[in-house]
Amino acid sequence: MSSKLDERGLELLCDHTLFGVSDEELRELESLAPDALSGNDAVAFEFTAAQLSMINTDNAELPQHLFDKIVANSKQHVGVETNVFTAPRRDVIAEKQNSGAIWGWLGWAVAGAASIALAVNIFSPQSGTEVANLPKDPPVVEQKLTPLQLRQRLIDTEQAALRADWSKGTFKDSEGISGDVVWSDAKQTGYMRISGLPVNDKAKNQYQLWIFEDSKLEKFPKDGGVFDVDENGEVIIPIDAKIAVNNPKAFAITVEKPGGVVVSERGQIAGLAPVKPSQS
Amino acid sequence: MSQNILKRIANGDQAAVQDCLKTYGGLVWSLARRMLRNSDDAEDAVQEIFVDVWKNAGRFDESQSSETTYIAMIARRRLIDRIRFTQRRISADSIEDMLAEPARTGDADMQTLVEGREAFRALKGLRPEQQQVLQLSIVQGLSHQEISDATGMPLGTVKTHARRGLMQAREIMGVGNSSKEVSI
Repeated sequence: MSSKLDERGLELLCDHTLFGVSDEELRELESLAPDALSGNDAVAFEFTAAQLSMINTDNAELPQHLFDKIVANSKQHVGVETNVFTAPRRDVIAEKQNSGAIWGWLGWAVAGAASIALAVNIFSPQSGTEVANLPKDPPVVEQKLTPLQLRQRLIDTEQAALRADWSKGTFKDSEGISGDVVWSDAKQTGYMRISGLPVNDKAKNQYQLWIFEDSKLEKFPKDGGVFDVDENGEVIIPIDAKIAVNNPKAFAITVEKPGGVVVSERGQIAGLAPVKPSQS
Repeated sequence: MSQNILKRIANGDQAAVQDCLKTYGGLVWSLARRMLRNSDDAEDAVQEIFVDVWKNAGRFDESQSSETTYIAMIARRRLIDRIRFTQRRISADSIEDMLAEPARTGDADMQTLVEGREAFRALKGLRPEQQQVLQLSIVQGLSHQEISDATGMPLGTVKTHARRGLMQAREIMGVGNSSKEVSI
C-alpha cells in the first residue's frame, strides 16, 4: 500500500516529474511517504506529463537511415531484459529488475533522466535492486549505490558535468557502440554508459579508457583504467582516472593486453567520445 | 493491432520492431526534434529512446496506459536527460504558436491524435499562466529557472503554476483515478 500524500508531498512529486528534485527534496519526500515514488500519484503524474507532451506532435516520418539503424541495433536488445552488467574490476553491482514492478521498470526507463531512477531504486522497498537492507531510519552513512544510481546522482548534482557520446572507432567488432560518458572535474568522478561493446576474453585482452585533455588527441593521454565486459547489453562503468583530469576534450576506449598498457599504440580503438566544444 | 506491439517485442519478435518504428517512430522523432532542435542530437536521442523501449517492453502494463503514452513517457524522460546537458535557450517559437490548436494531420497515428487532443483539452482548461509554464516545461523541456528567465515570473511562482497545472491536468484527464494500488 502506498501512503496517502499530503499537499507538500504532491508538490514534490510534481516537481520530480517536471523538473527533477534535489537530494534534499528527495529526502523530504521520502520522509513524508517512503513509498511515494512507487505509488499511484507518481505514476499518474508521469503519464499526465507524457500525454501533455503529445500535444502538437507532427508525427513526421522517421528518416529511413535512422529507421534502418534502429532496426539493426535492436537485435542485441530485443528480448534482453537485463540492462546493467558487471565490470569486475570496479565492483559494479548488477541490478535485477523485478519484471512485475512498474516502478522497477520506470526506475530503469528513466535512468538517464532527472532524478527519478535514483529515487526509485533507493527508496522503493520493492524495487528489486540489490541495494539491500534499508534501515527504517534515514542512515547517516550513505547507502551503497549502484553505478547506475551514482551516475544519475552525478548528473543531478553537478550542473557542470560534461557529457560526450560514444561513436565507433577502428575496432570492427564495436561498430555499434553507443552510450555516453559523464564526467565532473570538480568531483574527479565520471561514468561510462556503453552498449555495443563485445564481451572480452579477459585472458587475452581488456578494454582501457583514455582521457584526452587536448582536442588534438595528445600522444600521452591520461589512463582511465581497464575494464571488462561480461555480457551483452548496457554497462555502466565508473571511471578510474589514475591522475587528476582537467577539462577533458575526448575519451577513447582501446583494446589492450590484460592489465592494460602505459602507452597505447591505438591499434584497436573500440570507441571515441569527443566532448562537444560548447561544454569544454 | 498496434497495442500489442510491445508484448510482441517482449517476446523477442523481431518483426514487431519494424511495426513499432512504423507506428511510434514518428511520435518519438517529433518529440525529439521539438525538444532538442538539432537533428544530430535528435537522431542520437531517438536511438537511445528505442533501446529503452526494447528493454522495457515487457514491463508495459495496458491497465496503466496506452502504448502511445508509455512510449511518450520513456521518450520524454530520455529527452529531458539530454537537455540537461546542453546549454539550450528557449525556442524561437512563440507561446501562442505552441498553444495553437493541434493541426489535424491525416497520417498521424490515431491514438497519438486522440491522446494529444485529450491533453490539449485538459491544457485549455487551465489558467493561462499554468498553460504557459507547463508547455515550457513539458513541451520545451525547460527548467524552472529557465522558465523564470524566459517569462519574468519569480521562481516560486513558476513552481506553483507548474504544480497546480499538472495536478489539475491530471484531474481533468482522469489519469490514475483508479483507487487500486499500482501493482508492484
